[in-house]
Amino acid sequence: MSERNPADDTATGGRIERERTTGDAVGTTDAETPLLRVEDLWKSYGDEEVLRGVSLEVDRGDVEVLVGPSGSGKSTLLRCLNRLTEVDSGHIYLGETEVTGPDTDPNAVRQQIGMVFQDINLFAHLTARQNITLGLRKVRGQSKTEARRRADSELDRVGLLEQADSYPAQLSGGQKQRVGIARALAMDPEVMLFDEPTSALDPELSNEVLEVMGQLVAEGMTMVVVTHEMRFARGGATGITFLDEGKVIERGPPDRIFDDPERERTARFFQSIRHE
Amino acid sequence: MTEREPADGPTASTLGRLRPSSSRPGSLLAVLAGIAFWGWLLTRWVTDWVLARAGLGPGAGENYLSPEPFEALAETFEETVAAIGPVRLPMNWLATLFDGVALAIDIAPILADGAWHTVVLTVVSILLGLVIAVPLAVLRVYGGPLRWLALAYTELIRGTPLLAQLFVLYYGLPLAVWLNDIDAVGRGFVPEYAFLIAILGFTINGSAYQAEYIRGALESVDEGQLTAARAIGMTRLEGIRYVVLPQTLRYGIPAWTNEFVYLIKYSSLAGFITVPELYYRASRVASSTFEYTPIFTLLALVYLGLVLTATNAMGRLERRVAIPGLGQAGGRQQGTSAGVNTEGETALAPEAVEGGSGSGSRSKSESETDTETDTRTK
Repeated sequence: MSERNPADDTATGGRIERERTTGDAVGTTDAETPLLRVEDLWKSYGDEEVLRGVSLEVDRGDVEVLVGPSGSGKSTLLRCLNRLTEVDSGHIYLGETEVTGPDTDPNAVRQQIGMVFQDINLFAHLTARQNITLGLRKVRGQSKTEARRRADSELDRVGLLEQADSYPAQLSGGQKQRVGIARALAMDPEVMLFDEPTSALDPELSNEVLEVMGQLVAEGMTMVVVTHEMRFARGGATGITFLDEGKVIERGPPDRIFDDPERERTARFFQSIRHE
Repeated sequence: MTEREPADGPTASTLGRLRPSSSRPGSLLAVLAGIAFWGWLLTRWVTDWVLARAGLGPGAGENYLSPEPFEALAETFEETVAAIGPVRLPMNWLATLFDGVALAIDIAPILADGAWHTVVLTVVSILLGLVIAVPLAVLRVYGGPLRWLALAYTELIRGTPLLAQLFVLYYGLPLAVWLNDIDAVGRGFVPEYAFLIAILGFTINGSAYQAEYIRGALESVDEGQLTAARAIGMTRLEGIRYVVLPQTLRYGIPAWTNEFVYLIKYSSLAGFITVPELYYRASRVASSTFEYTPIFTLLALVYLGLVLTATNAMGRLERRVAIPGLGQAGGRQQGTSAGVNTEGETALAPEAVEGGSGSGSRSKSESETDTETDTRTK
């Protein structure tokens, strides 16, 4: 099903490493065009402008972490990327396809962009396995056995094969979120979006989710992550984008953004979260 | 009971399986009453429509028992006064009782026939109504501009009396003429046109009420569910169909049961358009015999039997389709065994163990939790 499995790309781990050491701006990799390109995105709800001209580029295999104070537009930006929220103006491209194009089928786009939610949103009436097979069967039209095999391999990937027949209410928060990740991965996405995947979890439950995310980073999955987990941002990200009041304030490799931010606003933000 | 126990062995175990959640003696009594009630109704229907045609049994509408011995008993007690020492007790209440039994035997076939019409009318109408109500409710919640159409329908139907609706359908529209022109109507298993019109009326009326109940359940499903469905590439409609509705219908069962129970009783309005349902049949007998109190008491018992059966069946359905780990009693037990509570413990235990000793390292608190859980298991 997957034409281009990011895990099959050669030397992905090495590339991430190289980017980190050189400290160059994101986008200087071997890929000709970035996998995900966002141009001058504007979005407002009523009088409130949530996104004010956001631009972003994410290369294949990159892990872009969006940080910023609450209300800065991170989650809205993420939801615009797979058109769960329609933008007012601006363009989003996934490879050659314009996501925001008027003729683009949002349902087709969403299959290529996996999403993991803060409030997890597992289908409450389905078992862990059925949560994964539903999309494979109804969207992809796979056979029952085919979908089941795929679901089991995804559950195995996140270490939950034994819980395949459990219902969401029988799983812990961390387990639920791992199923949520497996559900998104099963659709063979080009990019995975994470919208504060650990914010609803107790710290000890967050770790198991972060471990799975780290595993995806190692496999070379392209990811855009909104998170307050600075450990993940430092260890897993290839780039950090700092947003405030609907604008990209600063963007760069994690070490530089964390330790030597150019903008005073960025510095203040990291200072404030360090004090927590 | 005691002498029948060996023979009843398998039945008792079957009953046990039917009601896994309760072992109270009252529930056994209720099950036995249910078996007697439905045993009577079913054998009556089989006698009247299957056996009678084959020339077997007592014949259609004929009594199983003769009421005469009870009438004779009633007469005996009419004049009897029991004398216990100096106290003299009038025994005519026994006469009333035996009179009632005789009357019950007399009108039982009529009640069973009426109950058949009531049951068919109710079950068919509520199911057809549900088929209309689901899209109606979906329109109300997700329909965009079309929601006004659904709202108008619902308010029109709910805002006018059911009896008036039945009269419009029966007398006002030429439905009866059309239906009468169809040869099949009234032949074989196809009911009379009045019955069909009643079904139509109750379907339309019930659909409006059911749509409101389902709308409530629909709105109680977290909107993130549909968002998640769309995020994996489902269309809105697919998300509603495969994710939102399966949950909605489960959550809607209690409210829907309410509508079901109402319909059983307000199906009696079909009598006004000559459908020979339960109330209509009983009231006809009552007005010709003037035995209003005993007849309506018996009628009430039959309705009670139908309603209790409905609520019991729906309760059973609710338990059966309950999502494990959510809400229902059975689910809650499963949830406990599968880690929901265990998680709760891991979350709470460190605080309990460490108390005021400050925040220990994560690994420490985890290991402490483990030992804590272990000792508890032992």
